[in-house]
Amino acid sequence: MKTTLVGEDVVVLSKKTRSTRRLQGRMTIVLFLLPALALFLIFLVYPIFQSVYYSLFNWKGFGPAVDFVGLDNFKRILTDQIFLKSVGHGLLIVVLSLSIQLPLALALALMMGRSLRGRAFFRTIFFMPYILSEVITGIMWMILYNPNPNRGFVNAILTLIPGIKAIPWLGNTSTVLMAIFIVLTWKFFGFYMLLYLAGLQNIPPEVEEAALIDGVNNRQMITHITIPLIGSTIRTSVYLSVLGSLQVFALVWIMTKGGPVNASEVMSTYMYRFSFVRFQLGYGSAVAIVMLLISLVFSLAYRRLVRQTDYLN
Amino acid sequence: MSVNYSYRSRTLKKNLPRIFQYIILSVAVVIVIIPIVMLIFGALKTRGEFMTRPYTLPIPPNWENFARVLKIPSFWSMLLNSFLVMLTTTSGVIIICSMAAFALSRLKFRGQDLIFNFLTLGLMFPITIAILPVYLMVRQIGLTDNLWGVILIQTSFQLSIGIVILCGFFKSVPSELQDAAYIDGCNAFGFFWRILLPLSRPALAAVASLTMVASWNDLLVPLVLLNSESLWTLPLGTMQFQGQYGVNLALIAAFVILSAVPAVIFYLFAERQIVSGLTAGAIKG
Amino acid sequence: MKKYSLVLFLVGILLVSGVLTVLAAEAPVTITWWHIEIVENQIALWQGLADKYMAAHPNVTIEITGYENENFKTKLTTVMQSGAPPDLFQSWGGGVMNEYAKAGLLLDITAYLDKDGWRDTFAPGALGVYSFEGKNYGVPRDMGMVGFWYNKELFAKAGINNPPATWTELLADVQKLKDANITPIALGEGDKWPGAFWWEYLATRIAGQAGFTEAYSRKGSFTDAPFIQAGEKLQELVALKPFQSGFLGATWGVDEPTLMGNGEAAMDLMGQWAPGAFNDSSTDRKGLGDKLGWFPFPMVEGGAGGSADALGGGNGFAVGKNAPPEAVDFLKYISSVDSQVAQAKIGLSLPVVAGAETGVTDPMLKLVQQGTAAAKYFQLYYDQAMPPAVGSVVNDSVQGLFAGTLTPEQAAQAIEDSAAQEIK
Repeated sequence: MKTTLVGEDVVVLSKKTRSTRRLQGRMTIVLFLLPALALFLIFLVYPIFQSVYYSLFNWKGFGPAVDFVGLDNFKRILTDQIFLKSVGHGLLIVVLSLSIQLPLALALALMMGRSLRGRAFFRTIFFMPYILSEVITGIMWMILYNPNPNRGFVNAILTLIPGIKAIPWLGNTSTVLMAIFIVLTWKFFGFYMLLYLAGLQNIPPEVEEAALIDGVNNRQMITHITIPLIGSTIRTSVYLSVLGSLQVFALVWIMTKGGPVNASEVMSTYMYRFSFVRFQLGYGSAVAIVMLLISLVFSLAYRRLVRQTDYLN
Repeated sequence: MSVNYSYRSRTLKKNLPRIFQYIILSVAVVIVIIPIVMLIFGALKTRGEFMTRPYTLPIPPNWENFARVLKIPSFWSMLLNSFLVMLTTTSGVIIICSMAAFALSRLKFRGQDLIFNFLTLGLMFPITIAILPVYLMVRQIGLTDNLWGVILIQTSFQLSIGIVILCGFFKSVPSELQDAAYIDGCNAFGFFWRILLPLSRPALAAVASLTMVASWNDLLVPLVLLNSESLWTLPLGTMQFQGQYGVNLALIAAFVILSAVPAVIFYLFAERQIVSGLTAGAIKG
Repeated sequence: MKKYSLVLFLVGILLVSGVLTVLAAEAPVTITWWHIEIVENQIALWQGLADKYMAAHPNVTIEITGYENENFKTKLTTVMQSGAPPDLFQSWGGGVMNEYAKAGLLLDITAYLDKDGWRDTFAPGALGVYSFEGKNYGVPRDMGMVGFWYNKELFAKAGINNPPATWTELLADVQKLKDANITPIALGEGDKWPGAFWWEYLATRIAGQAGFTEAYSRKGSFTDAPFIQAGEKLQELVALKPFQSGFLGATWGVDEPTLMGNGEAAMDLMGQWAPGAFNDSSTDRKGLGDKLGWFPFPMVEGGAGGSADALGGGNGFAVGKNAPPEAVDFLKYISSVDSQVAQAKIGLSLPVVAGAETGVTDPMLKLVQQGTAAAKYFQLYYDQAMPPAVGSVVNDSVQGLFAGTLTPEQAAQAIEDSAAQEIK
């Protein structure tokens, strides 16, 4: 008897809570979501729509946009040598990052392992460049890359080797992209290393011990056990690296402004120049749309792939 | 017998590579540190010395460059502006993201997934791509040359990552806790404010660290928005200073180092939060 | 009660009179001033003038922001876009300034100039650069021409006794310098406009005034023969590899004057502001002293231009549309004879105000001044004479010639396309 009463009481109680929850539910939900949605709509969504509109015009930014050109801006983008170059440079940076930066970070993370003494010290040092702003990093390396061996550290070291002459790293069309990539690696490898370390932490030690007992050597351990187990971390790092490489701006702008002669031009500097230096705002809007599409396509493709792989796992 | 053998080789294997590991890691440390050290050396030289022997040990160290930078009044106003923008942006992000994440992860309503996906679209629309459209928007509202314009933009573009991290964390809070709170007579807001938030300190610290770093180091938004020198933030001011005094490499080096000091101090104090924030954000994203 | 109301009444009177006094006193005025000086004693000179003015006018605050050249151009464009120009700012006059005037962003100071004969203190040609359709929007402080600054000692070392008078001689001298292991030319082509000087001078020497006027008035074209030849001549020079290594990424602000000031390069085709920059960038801050010489751009054999034709321009300040009257008054102050003499002494300006010529003591700057005055045809730098869009195409195309990525025909065509679109 008592049980039934309690049961009924509970039912009545939860009915009351559920309906009150629903009442305050709607109001609460709206209130809680409102600020985020408002900011998002005003500062992200609306500008995108606006720039789709402006991209159809030839517009100097003064007064209203009146010179309708339809898809001309987009045609121009796809045939502009310099834009194509900037996409190429972006892709090159992505490829270099995936083949050099990430493996380097992974190797160092594996080396730091689980029980290396002084781990905290190494971690602090390696991560520091990530904290420094791109402005600071850019100016610092500009000084270090000075073509005169009396003033530039890199060349000072280089000319110590007999027979090697000083290289104008940022002034030569053939070396500038490599020079910038070195700075990017210096700045970001610590971040990826930390990412991998966090992923490695998640591998239960029992798995490794079991493998050791089974007689696995180091190399087999790494390739067959460790790396597959941090697969999702690696996938995340690839995603971040590609997106990051496509967006790099301040570092390049400060060191070379995309020069010399567009040899280090990337999509973001290209857009910045047409938007804020030349003030061709219709064209700049079109470039922004193209960049957004590229980023979108990549993100969606990644989500598809990741969902599938992780789902299958 | 075979067990003993593999045990010994295991320890040998562990010790020999250990030394190699230390050597390689130490080389890496040197490569990372050397540029910064060289810059410090350079800053401690006089203008003329930098043009001839910048990378030798500065003995005796010449502090005039540092003194000169510290005497520039705009250096301090830039520091203050960066600080104000960072504080306001971070507070805004924490409050707005936690509210939105709460609604998206602890409450049930139709269209939840849709709104979640919508709000996290921002991850693939970074400010570098969006700057022109956003600038045009801000110009229409009349917030150019205004720190609030910078704050609002920075806040809006940090929302996605904040929501992703906080949703992830909030989801992991057991629902029994929430039910118990309701039975005790708490409403949604009460649960949010008195139970969930205090519980979520690590996640909130992570989001805060992410936002603070992003805001402090931001060049693009201040560059495009701020015209008056009195409103410049530190990265913008550093860039302009380098343009103006670029010939005096030693002075520039000093300026750059001094402008890095706040970030480094913050990093050393809050390293763990920053690291966990960035890795949490990355893994969840 | 009566006591208290009397006290209250007296206090009230005091308050009211106090408020009225404060209101009657001159309301505080702030003037924003943007300049592009990066040489330390020049920055100090402007600040000093502002300080003196502020001391004499306590209600006026002058906020000075100094920018590097390229940052300034970008920042000014942005701020013009938002419709809130600074009160006083660096201007080179010509087509760029005209665009701002057309858009209503500048203050018409014609009336100010007509008062008290302020107009007559300026050299008319120089003042004209800052006027548009008969109205004045700014005043000049400096007018000169571009020429070769050279290191006499390095020339002597290479066995060059006299500066070159023809283009062929110039190329030969470059070779002599190379043979003596001296970097012949310092060039900051990263900024693009220093290299544009070379091509613009060649065009001026080959096309002459007639040629440029033809093309600019749209009767002719920038793809006419003289402009292509200018590109070909430039290629002859580039083929000799006469510039410092990494010149394509080098800047005017840092690299060019450092090389010249420290005797690491032999010559530099640059304007009248060069010596000040050379001195500031040298290790001992003293520069080359009397080792610095100057010679005009050589004749180009077969060219239609005169040997005294000058490419050049000057510097001045334009007035933004929101500027208070105090800003124009301050402008008058810094255009005074004394100010101009002080500017001349540190190589900041070649004076344009009558009576200030005495401030020019440097014999080399005197040469520049004389050359400017004697020029029969004075060509303003292309990127200031023509609308900004065309100017930037000129600079970009010429950079392509230096980098070898564009042929003379392609460069000329790019300029012509832009001119056709912008100049109507």
